[in-house]
Amino acid sequence: MRKKLEFKNFSIYFDQYLFISITLVSVMGLFFLYSASQGNLNTVIKQSIYVGFGLVIMLILSQPDPDFYKIFSSLFLLIAISLMFATMIFGKEINGAKRWLNLGFFTLQTSELIKIALPIFLASYLYNKKLPISLRHTLQTLLLICFIFYLVYSQPDLGTGLVVFMAGIYILFLAGLSWKFILTSFGFIILSTPFIWNSFLEPFQRQRILTFINPSNDPYGSAWNITQSKIAIGSGGMSGKGYLDGSQANLNFLPEAETDFIFAVIAEEFGFLGICILLSFFFFILLRCIYLAFNARDRFCRLTIGGLSLIFASTLFINIGMVVGIMPVVGMPMPFISKGGSSLLSFYIAFGIIISMATHKKLMQK
Amino acid sequence: MIDLDQRYKEKKSFFNRLIIVYSFFGIAFAFFLYRTYSIQVSEYTEYETAALENKTKEVLVQPIRGIIYDRSGKIIVNNVPTYDLIIKPSQIKNIDSFLSDLSLIIDLNSNELDYVKENFDLKASYNRELVVKKNLSEIETAKFEVRSYKFPHAFIDVRYSRYNNYPKLFSHAIGYVGGVSNDELTNILSNQNLQQIETIFKYSNGFQIGKTGIENTYDNLLRGKFGKKTYEVDARGRLLDEMQFIKPIDGKNIFTTLDIDAQKVAYDQMDNRRGAVVAIEIDTGSIVTYLSTPSFSTNAISNGISSSAFNALIKDNNKPFFDRASQGRYSPASTIKPAIGLFGLENNIIDWNFTIDDPGYFILPEDQRVYRGWREGGHGKVNLNKAIIVSSNTFFFSLAYQSDIYKLIDYLSKFGFGANVCVDCFNPDKGLLPTPEWKINNLNFGWFKGDTVNLGVGQGYLSTTPLQLAYYSSILANMGKSNKLSFVYDKNEKKNTYIQSENISNLDWKKLHHSMIGVIESPIGTAKRLQELKKFTVAAKSGTVELVSTETKEDYKIIRENEGNRDHAIIIAFGPMPNPKYAVSVVIENGESGGSVAGPVAIAVLNSLIDR
Repeated sequence: MRKKLEFKNFSIYFDQYLFISITLVSVMGLFFLYSASQGNLNTVIKQSIYVGFGLVIMLILSQPDPDFYKIFSSLFLLIAISLMFATMIFGKEINGAKRWLNLGFFTLQTSELIKIALPIFLASYLYNKKLPISLRHTLQTLLLICFIFYLVYSQPDLGTGLVVFMAGIYILFLAGLSWKFILTSFGFIILSTPFIWNSFLEPFQRQRILTFINPSNDPYGSAWNITQSKIAIGSGGMSGKGYLDGSQANLNFLPEAETDFIFAVIAEEFGFLGICILLSFFFFILLRCIYLAFNARDRFCRLTIGGLSLIFASTLFINIGMVVGIMPVVGMPMPFISKGGSSLLSFYIAFGIIISMATHKKLMQK
Repeated sequence: MIDLDQRYKEKKSFFNRLIIVYSFFGIAFAFFLYRTYSIQVSEYTEYETAALENKTKEVLVQPIRGIIYDRSGKIIVNNVPTYDLIIKPSQIKNIDSFLSDLSLIIDLNSNELDYVKENFDLKASYNRELVVKKNLSEIETAKFEVRSYKFPHAFIDVRYSRYNNYPKLFSHAIGYVGGVSNDELTNILSNQNLQQIETIFKYSNGFQIGKTGIENTYDNLLRGKFGKKTYEVDARGRLLDEMQFIKPIDGKNIFTTLDIDAQKVAYDQMDNRRGAVVAIEIDTGSIVTYLSTPSFSTNAISNGISSSAFNALIKDNNKPFFDRASQGRYSPASTIKPAIGLFGLENNIIDWNFTIDDPGYFILPEDQRVYRGWREGGHGKVNLNKAIIVSSNTFFFSLAYQSDIYKLIDYLSKFGFGANVCVDCFNPDKGLLPTPEWKINNLNFGWFKGDTVNLGVGQGYLSTTPLQLAYYSSILANMGKSNKLSFVYDKNEKKNTYIQSENISNLDWKKLHHSMIGVIESPIGTAKRLQELKKFTVAAKSGTVELVSTETKEDYKIIRENEGNRDHAIIIAFGPMPNPKYAVSVVIENGESGGSVAGPVAIAVLNSLIDR
């Protein structure tokens, strides 16, 4: 199996399967976005620049040896946390949420960076711990996860917060969290659910969950998104209405068509068949990640590949689950497809690191 | 340094755990895919419909109401166009400069300017039209049309008003249109499987429905069918493309049997007195004249009337809205006598030679009660012929006295009394043909022989409408042949019915006609004053409806001081004899004399109808 492109004097670390499939999905995403934005060329050009830039970043980040990431993981996390605090102070407030840091040339959603930095740091922290992970390490890890979750959640951004939280938990679980601890905490969570509901969730979040449970409550209120999304998907039928012919998106019935609900646009215009084709690309990417994780050179690489690919899977899971009306509406973009710079770039970064972990072999095994 | 065993254990645990997590995702995605499949494929139709409903907006298009003609093809009710200046706000960038350019050509007052400015943004955002000025004059229209190239987003559109060319002549016959109640509209639209939605109006008054008269009874035909425009709309409800246009089907024109000239003669003759005139074309049962006076202008009612003017109409003691022709109840009085005479002949109670002595009164044998005639001292020897000519009460009292009440009622009912005699009249009253059962149920008194005697001269409980009297008149003219009355002649609907009789021959009918001609022609006829007015030989029977019963002429003089106590004047007539074509009935409230007050109206109408 080729894992790098050999040139005369140097070699580029490269995974053609991931690179090609991600490029294809990204390019398809540009076409979908063109339709979802009702033919807004500006949006598409901006997005193409991100995609091109992202692919380059992915390639660059594939080059360093995994040890580089292992050594500097705490630095990355510190930078990410500092940026989170900077956002808190200097951040740009949009619709009551402070999530963005204006860097002049680019508006960065800092939580997207911490989403990557946290699992890498945890992998570097846990890779040499004995199995099962001791209670002390478990609690230390959990404390860090909760702290970072709270940073994101308080922006407020429940969706990304959950992904960050899940990312941390995945690493902990994959690294060998003891089953005893898992069962105990499950019991604890079930008992404390009413408390979380009452004192932790904002009224609008409760409303979203209630709406999700019974969408017919108010078709033009909070359930409008879900209702219109289902109409868009359903009216696509088996083969779709055809590219640019989706009335739900083009006539503005579908809210957030360019971002969170772009899956509904695709379903409307390309039908069930189009969805199957698109999802098969995503499944291929995930299967490739599982394969790479199994063949990684050491525990750190395994954990990182597993954790980062699971972030990807979770994001996809939340996004599609929300759009097809199975999960509550929490803002969550579709990876590589939805409009938006930070989340798009974060996945190129993640896959760049995954490729780095997968392609570098240790020269000497002791 | 991690030992190999530990390494192996760790690797295995990692694989297991990764598989566990990915299995969860596998199942979840399989479920999502299944979910997508069920929405897209299993429930496709439902969602397809929902998407279609989302993006389409249907707008109704109002049809134009049919025109109403008289029997010679002259237009009675028409749709008169008015011209409105309309703009498309979504196309106009700067409304202020647009209006200032426009006001150089067309005067816009401050109300109109305010209206445009207030509604401009809303109409623009929904891509709707906006009326800038209503009812443009010809000069304004011409001025605009010449310069219309300067205003590509403005145009002149036609809106109609319902207009009666003879607003006071046909107030009750044609009636008027007015606004539609919500229930009525829902009902009208549901007949077309439509719902109440935004509508493009052809009438400046919006939805309308026939409220009275022919406008009401033929509303379904006149109205037409609504068309439908289907637009594509976006989520904001803005109209985009027109996708489909089902044109409205305009209402059918109604060709009535009414005769404008005769109606005008009747109207002039009545001269705003309270009463009614109905004339019938005998062969077909067609109503050619239908007038109730005093009347009112239907145009004012249809197209807007000030509330003070409207209240004045409602409070008017002469009740102009009241349709006396088909809803006014009057005793037929002496006009009933020909029917009573026919009844006597049919039942062999009398023949043409049967003679009685008329002392001027009739004494009921049962209780010695006296029933008086109109002439003191009576008419001497009286047979049926003379009894009709001089209108002898005594003759008909004694004839009725010998009659079986049930047989008599049954016979009278054949002439349309107590029944609806019109196919398409608006809310006709049936009058009252009293029976012993009716009396005991309503008045709590048994039927006296005296009631039967009173019936013989058309007084008492019997009451009829002018419409019924005209129908009755046409049956007499047509020798027992009858046709239900109507405003619109439909060959297929009309079937002559005959009054079945065993003992009445054509000769009897001719003798009856002869007697009724005598009412005018004979020097002793009750309507002999009409001799000089008529242009043709006319048969008639006059009547005088007593409102207050008086014993002597002196008593009547006292009570007539109050106009409301005076007798109603009433007449039925038909001609030209011997082959009558038209039958007419006239009632003039408190007119006192059937022959000399109601008679001239009847003769004038007949003259107008026959003298063509």
